[in-house]
Amino acid sequence: MPAARALAVFALSAVVAVAVDGPLGRLSRRFPPLTELPATPFCAQDAALVELGFRAAAADLAWVQMLEYMGNGLPQLPDAPGHPYAHIAVLASRIVSLDPSFHRAYLYGASVLGWFPQVARPEQAVALLQEGLRRDPGQRLYLLYIAALAYKKEGDVPKMIALLDSTLKDPGTPTLMKEILANLYKSQGRYAKALEIWRDILDDPAAASDHPRARLQIEEIRALEAAGRGS
Amino acid sequence: MDTIKAVFDYTLREHVRSRAWLSAALFGLVLLGAGAIASVLAVNERGRMVLDLGLAAILAIGLVSMVFLTVRLVLQEIESRAVFLILTHPVRRWHYLLGRFFGTLAAVAIGMAGMGLVHWLLLEAFGWAPAGSYALAWVSILGQVALMGALALLLSLALTSEAAAMAFSVFFWVLGHFTPELRYIAERSGSGPLRGLILAFARAAPDFSRLDYAGARHAGTPAAWAAWAVLYVLAYGTACLALSAELFEQKEF
Repeated sequence: MPAARALAVFALSAVVAVAVDGPLGRLSRRFPPLTELPATPFCAQDAALVELGFRAAAADLAWVQMLEYMGNGLPQLPDAPGHPYAHIAVLASRIVSLDPSFHRAYLYGASVLGWFPQVARPEQAVALLQEGLRRDPGQRLYLLYIAALAYKKEGDVPKMIALLDSTLKDPGTPTLMKEILANLYKSQGRYAKALEIWRDILDDPAAASDHPRARLQIEEIRALEAAGRGS
Repeated sequence: MDTIKAVFDYTLREHVRSRAWLSAALFGLVLLGAGAIASVLAVNERGRMVLDLGLAAILAIGLVSMVFLTVRLVLQEIESRAVFLILTHPVRRWHYLLGRFFGTLAAVAIGMAGMGLVHWLLLEAFGWAPAGSYALAWVSILGQVALMGALALLLSLALTSEAAAMAFSVFFWVLGHFTPELRYIAERSGSGPLRGLILAFARAAPDFSRLDYAGARHAGTPAAWAAWAVLYVLAYGTACLALSAELFEQKEF
C-alpha cells in the first residue's frame, strides 16, 4: 500500500473514531468514577478488576464478600463488640458503586439496615434506597421499601407489614426480607402467614443456604401453634 | 483479495493446529466450570454470577490469546526468516499483514465461540439465561479483543520487541478502562490547557469502557449503542491496521 494511501486511510479512520466517540459516550452506560468507591480494605481489588475490564465480576465478588460478612464476618472488617454488622452500609454502597444496577444489593443492604433490630439504622437504609432510585431508576421495590420504613418510623406496624407483604411475590425480593417478614408475623402471633413464607423459602432452590433455618423455624412455629391451641 | 485469503487460510490453520490455542480454549472451559461452582456463594444471584464470570473468562482468554498471538505474529516470522519466503511470492506486504491479522482474529473468535456456546448452554440448562442479549455481549467482547489485537500488532511493529509490545498492550488495555477517570480528572482540572491535554489523551486511547456491553448489560443499554460501538471498533481498528501496514512497508529485511 503506498504510504500516502495508508496515511489517508489512517487519518480518515481516526476522524471517524473521534466523531463516533461522542454519540457512543452518550449511549453507553455511565458508571460512577472509582473516586466514588467507598473506602474499604478491598479498594485495590475493586480498582484492579475495574481497570482490567471486569467490572461486573468485581461487583459479584463484592456481593459474595458482603454475604460472607453477614454470615461469618470478614477478618478485614471486624465488628466492635455489641455493634454487629456495623460495616453493612459501606459494603452495600461498594457493590452499587461498582454496578449501580445491582438491584438486590440496595434491597439487601436496606433490609439489614432498616429491619435488623441489632442494627436499626433506618436513615441509612433510606439513603441507600434513594441512591438506588437515582442511579437505578425503574425499580418499584425501592419506593415500596422507603414507604415501609416511613410506616416503621411512625410506628404503624400493620401498614408496614401489609406493604412488605405486597412485595413478597416480586422476584427481586431478597430472601432476607422474606425472613424478616416471617419473623414479624411470628412476633405478632400470625403463625399461618409466617409458616407460608418459610415454606416458600423452603421451596425456593435459589435459597438453599436458608433451608436449614426455614426447617427450624417451621418446627418452632408449629410448636408455638400447638402450644397456643393447648392453652 | 486472493492473496489475503490465502494468507488468512494458512494463518487460521496454523493457529487451530497449535497446542497453545487448544490449551487456551480448554483452560477457558475450566474457568467456566469454576465460575459455575463458585457461584454457589452468591445465593440469590447465582445466575448473574455464572453469567458475569463466564463472560469475564471469555474476555480474559480471548484477550490474552489475541495479544500474545498478534505480538508474535510478524516478529517471529521475521526472526525465523519465514517472512522472506512468503514475500518472495507475489504477495503485497499489506495483504500479508491483513491476512495474518484476520486469520489470527478468526482463530481466537472460534475459540471464544466454543466457550460462548458452552457458557450459554450452561446458563440455559440451569434456567439462568440472561435478560439482555447474550449474543450482543459476546460480540462486544469480540470487538474489544479485535481492537486490542489491531493495537498490539501496531505496537509490535513500532517497538520491534515482543516484551515491550506486550507491556504497552497491557498499558493501553488498562488505559482504555481508565478513560472515565481521565474525563473526571479533566472536568475537575482548573487549568484549561491541562484539561485539553487530558481529554486529548483520553480520546487517543481506545475507550474500552464504552464498549463493555457485558458490564452495562444489567442496566439495559440501548440497542443503538451497538451500531455506534461497531463503527467505533471498525474505525479505530482500521486506523491501527493502516499505520501497521505503513510501518511494515517501511521495514527493511
